[in-house]
Amino acid sequence: MSAKVLVIDDDQDFRVSVRSVLEARGYEVLEAGSGHEGLKQVLEHKPDVILLDIMMETSVEGYGVTHALKYQDEYAAHSHVPIFMVSSIEESPDERFPMSAEVEMIRPDGYLAKPLDIPRFLELLEKAVPAKGTVKTAR
Amino acid sequence: MSEVAAPDTIVVIDDDYAMRLSCSKILSKMGLRVEAFENGARGLEGVAEHKPGLVVVDLKMPGISGLEVISRVHEIDPQIIMVVITGYATIDTAVEAMKSGAYDFLPKPFSPDELRMIINRGLDRRRLALESQRGEVERALLKRRFVTFVSHQLRTPLVAIHQYLDVLKHLDQTKDDPARRQEWLDRCLKRTEELQNLITDWLTLARVEGGTLVKERVEIDLKPIVSSILASYEEMAAAEQVSLDVVWPEEALCVWSDRNCMNVLFDNLITNAIKYNRPGGKVTVTGCLSGGEVAIAVADTGVGIPEKYRPFLFDEFFRIKGEGVKRTEGTGLGLHISKRIVSEMGGSIEVESQAGIGSTFRVRLPAWCAPAEDTEIGGWE
Repeated sequence: MSAKVLVIDDDQDFRVSVRSVLEARGYEVLEAGSGHEGLKQVLEHKPDVILLDIMMETSVEGYGVTHALKYQDEYAAHSHVPIFMVSSIEESPDERFPMSAEVEMIRPDGYLAKPLDIPRFLELLEKAVPAKGTVKTAR
Repeated sequence: MSEVAAPDTIVVIDDDYAMRLSCSKILSKMGLRVEAFENGARGLEGVAEHKPGLVVVDLKMPGISGLEVISRVHEIDPQIIMVVITGYATIDTAVEAMKSGAYDFLPKPFSPDELRMIINRGLDRRRLALESQRGEVERALLKRRFVTFVSHQLRTPLVAIHQYLDVLKHLDQTKDDPARRQEWLDRCLKRTEELQNLITDWLTLARVEGGTLVKERVEIDLKPIVSSILASYEEMAAAEQVSLDVVWPEEALCVWSDRNCMNVLFDNLITNAIKYNRPGGKVTVTGCLSGGEVAIAVADTGVGIPEKYRPFLFDEFFRIKGEGVKRTEGTGLGLHISKRIVSEMGGSIEVESQAGIGSTFRVRLPAWCAPAEDTEIGGWE
């Protein structure tokens, strides 16, 4: 069974190119064009790993998605799903939310710069979730 | 929040017991918290501990002098207001104290009213200073957010292009799929165009920061301008299966403005109306003269603009994206620039929209009437 990657990004071209890379590696790819849509897909399709854009021009941006997944009861069954945040700007959560105690709550499992360094990205992803033969543990 | 509570504490440093006592009494009655100390060394410890908003210090004390206390308090916090107490004989020193950062001085003997007045003034000054400091911090933060935002806007298309090319070059899965390869290359071109437009719009705005977009003022009839813009988009509209319509009155629709700006304004509104439309849809431009104004409406038959987005429509970089909206290549600056042009001319721009029916942008500009020569001169003799 192929591992499922959910790509949440408001740039369709970014999703298209990432999809082709992931599919070539044997991953199953789900796409969402907004944070809101991404959260819906999490509940519906139970992805194994999430690639998440930070700055999206939609009502729920990247950090909002991370926060919901990690702390809202609705998503409790998915709070362990690794999240890789991608962005074209170097802005850590500490810079985005200066002097906020809640910063710790939204730290993702990894950061990746856009455009993706594809070999490195695949290596990281493979480490977190191998493309094939994932054994689904009972949740 | 210590910053807010701090101004309520006053530290009094004076070696004279009676002076400490009377100052404490008067200030306590004003609702202030007072901490009094008998010399400079203890006083400085007190300042570090109590973080006062204002310090009253006697200039002539054994040990650390009042002058030194001023500079050392300001090392702790430059925003603390310093008021010095001085005898008649030491006015010169008081002046020196002011030069070294004291806010004001009280010559001995002084009345309770004088003390109260000077303290209130000092605390007001402190509040103002703190507020403006907070304002500066906020402005700096906003500016940094803005720079981050702009660089994100510029990088987004570049990232998309880079990634398509990277995948095309290295993974080459599109080798056996020329149609897909072609599609990706087309997307790269589109995104390059988007980046170009973004830079153009951005430069337009950056160049006029603080200045005006409307450079010259000449008499312009909007009818031929709008008609020629419509003509230039006929091909694009046909590709989108959108028809273009115009309803003009007999008379000319003249305004007093900049030709280039009028082109930008109506180009923005018309291209938006074509892009955010539906196949089989229509763009209708209507114009009329009413109440000394030229009113031009650009109506589309698109999905409409959800009410929650309308307040932000004319903001810099605002774009409706994501949920259920088709992909378009706007820069997010077009409507902002349009609004600026209209405002500079003393006009207005408004939007009406109905879900599933379409949106109408209404521009109203002061009409330009050529002075009628015979009435101007006053007729025949």
